[in-house]
Amino acid sequence: MSLTTDTTRPAAPRHILALGVLSAVLMGLAVVGALGIAPEDADQGVVQRIFYFHVAVAIASMVAFGVGCVAGIVFLRRGTTLWDDIGVSSVEVGLVYSVLTIITGSIWAKGAWGVWWRWDDVRLVSFLLIILLYAAYFVLRGSAEPDRQARFGAVYAVFAFAAVPLSFYSVRIAQSFIHPVVFTSKGANMPGSMLVWFVVSLAGFLCLFATLVAVEVQQRRAQRALERLKRRFDHVH
Amino acid sequence: MSASRGRQLRALVRKDLQLEARTRETVTAMALFALVAMVVFQFAVGQRSDDATGVAGGIIWATIALAAVLGVGRTWVPEREQRVLHGVLVAPVPRLVMLIARVIVLWLFLLAIEVLIVPLGVVFFVHDASPEGLALVAGLCAVANLAIAVPGALLASMSVFSRARELVIPVLLLPALVPVVIAAAGGTHAVLGPEVQMAEFLGYCRFLAVCAAVFCLVAYATFDHVLDD
Repeated sequence: MSLTTDTTRPAAPRHILALGVLSAVLMGLAVVGALGIAPEDADQGVVQRIFYFHVAVAIASMVAFGVGCVAGIVFLRRGTTLWDDIGVSSVEVGLVYSVLTIITGSIWAKGAWGVWWRWDDVRLVSFLLIILLYAAYFVLRGSAEPDRQARFGAVYAVFAFAAVPLSFYSVRIAQSFIHPVVFTSKGANMPGSMLVWFVVSLAGFLCLFATLVAVEVQQRRAQRALERLKRRFDHVH
Repeated sequence: MSASRGRQLRALVRKDLQLEARTRETVTAMALFALVAMVVFQFAVGQRSDDATGVAGGIIWATIALAAVLGVGRTWVPEREQRVLHGVLVAPVPRLVMLIARVIVLWLFLLAIEVLIVPLGVVFFVHDASPEGLALVAGLCAVANLAIAVPGALLASMSVFSRARELVIPVLLLPALVPVVIAAAGGTHAVLGPEVQMAEFLGYCRFLAVCAAVFCLVAYATFDHVLDD
């Protein structure tokens, strides 16, 4: 039997390729639109442009944690590995997005208020609490016995998502409310020429989230297949 | 809850309370730790005046939250140390009854340290606290304890099957307790200040009740999967 080495890289599944291209196009459009085309805010000036990314990535992080929670519920009901993969990947991306929210918010605070951090900024503090809440997800998964990791991860994803609105509200009752409100109960607090680029940015971040989750799920599946092959190889030899 | 479930619940609660009565490990450690933490906070805050009413609620509830972490960390420890954990888990007792028993025991432990810590905190930090204000804080403790005990019992049950359990508990529990600490400190401040602000106090109590209800719902829905052995 001759052993040959296949050096060609396997092609990515089509849905991942399509999602990746769509994410790249939307993110490119968002950058061009937010930094070049959208009108400048009369009050805040150029620093306001970071809101196209700051608010969009904040909303996308909440969507990611919501998907993580739903995936956790479905995993607890069905026990299929796919939903655990989706859950853990969603929480991973959600956590990265939350960190980006804090970083972009901090940059805005420096531009608007002259300081990197203010404890009376409700949203920054809320996202800090959410980062702490979801960072614990990985501590729990990493520390749990291997056959319980997925189950505990799913339970904690549900628990943490239920605690998110409590964290938001508790910070709101504890602090004064000085952060500019982009979205109110009456709708978006911005003109249409700005709103369109915000929506493109939001769509870009959501598409990127879907792409990253799809890649991570594929990677975890490949990892398991590789481990199975290794076990079979060890068994044969 | 049927009569047999009630008997099981009483037996489980009695077991934990008897263990604590014999060893006096958990509540004593929690109370001493809370006392030390309160003194440390006083110096860390740096307020040297006689009247520290403005920070009293925060110091008291941060102290109680940290002591709760200690108590929650001891949950399931006797069963593990005596190697009877699997015996308890295979007993024909519904998981929900086990959870409720743990919540009741943690609630009682918290109440036991609050009986010491809250009056001491008032003596140390508050000028001219009214008896009415103290009675209202006692009511607040009852609700806040539930909002601490439920997530504590749920997360402790997961940490028992984890490596480095003692390290995992604070990382898991404290972020979830931040809303409870904020509301409990606000409620305490509302009634221990110069005048009792009843509307504000009731608002904080309602929020604590919502926290407790949300945590109860999550624990009810997921606890069967935590001890699914």
